[in-house]
Amino acid sequence: MEKLEITFREDKTTFKPREMVHGAIQWNLPTVPKHLDLNLFWYTEGKGTRDVGVVETLKFDNIGAFGSKAFSFTLPDGPYSFSGKLISLIWALELTCSPGSETVRQEIVVSPTGQEIALDEVPSAGRSPLDGAAGRGLLGRLLSSRK
Amino acid sequence: MRARDNPFTIERIHGVRYRPFHTTLEGLILCLETMDYRAALVGPDGSGKTTLLEDLRHALTERGQRTRLVFVNDTCPLNGPRRRQLLADVAPDEIVFFDGADVIPRATWLMVKRRLLQEAAGLVITSHRPGLLPTLLECSTTPLLLRQIVDTLQPEHQPVPTDLLDDLFDRHHGNIRDCLRDLYDAFACDRVA
Repeated sequence: MEKLEITFREDKTTFKPREMVHGAIQWNLPTVPKHLDLNLFWYTEGKGTRDVGVVETLKFDNIGAFGSKAFSFTLPDGPYSFSGKLISLIWALELTCSPGSETVRQEIVVSPTGQEIALDEVPSAGRSPLDGAAGRGLLGRLLSSRK
Repeated sequence: MRARDNPFTIERIHGVRYRPFHTTLEGLILCLETMDYRAALVGPDGSGKTTLLEDLRHALTERGQRTRLVFVNDTCPLNGPRRRQLLADVAPDEIVFFDGADVIPRATWLMVKRRLLQEAAGLVITSHRPGLLPTLLECSTTPLLLRQIVDTLQPEHQPVPTDLLDDLFDRHHGNIRDCLRDLYDAFACDRVA
């Protein structure tokens, strides 16, 4: 196995808000860690600066160099997992080892529909950020070059 | 394309580190040492000053040097309370990495510089213009640099033609950051993916 691993009960990685997330962590490390931290969090990814929200952290102390532990989290009401052109919001569980730099991350989807919410393009009544001279020129050429 | 799949997200861009011409990061640190850690990184917007400042700070921190980063711009000014806090907190064994020294008013800069040079172990700044401290490096960009950076970010199956990159470089007067932002927009609107 990998040095650190996160697995989900019944391999379920899609959840509804307020649902429980059940799973287990496994570790197999060259030395005994002080502790392992399992974070439930969301983060944004896109054009702008990243936002992060840590919802809950489980700390596993007094553990050996290898082993496994079960975990469970209760998800909050939101935010939902979503993606648009400018920003995506991604939920994940991340297991980190201290001391050390070992880390593993597993993404999950939190959505009432069972799927990441896709933000549709809104027809713009006004000026789009891509309407500028630089954007229009480059964008047009880029897109036409890919046809 | 979903934002999370865009090859030019801010996180991926931040993963690209500074590439010094004709020298190395190690060479710059040696040079910084000979300058007694009192130096400026000079260059226009989007030329990599902040990235290099972060890289120098990271390298020195890795060697056990205490450092402090101060970031100043129009939306994050060095106002009175912040300035007083900085001057109260700075330690004699710290090197202060000051991003945006030329953004603060000259009189304030002269006072802050004098105090930090007296009370800290070093002061390394970024500035758009030379003259605030001895220049360690003048950061500049080239179309080739843009191509190299884009090459590390773009998907293999969707390379951006080099003539478009050269065009982009000219439009943004060598501002690599703005070039990469435009590329984000271009990929965001690509419905082929």
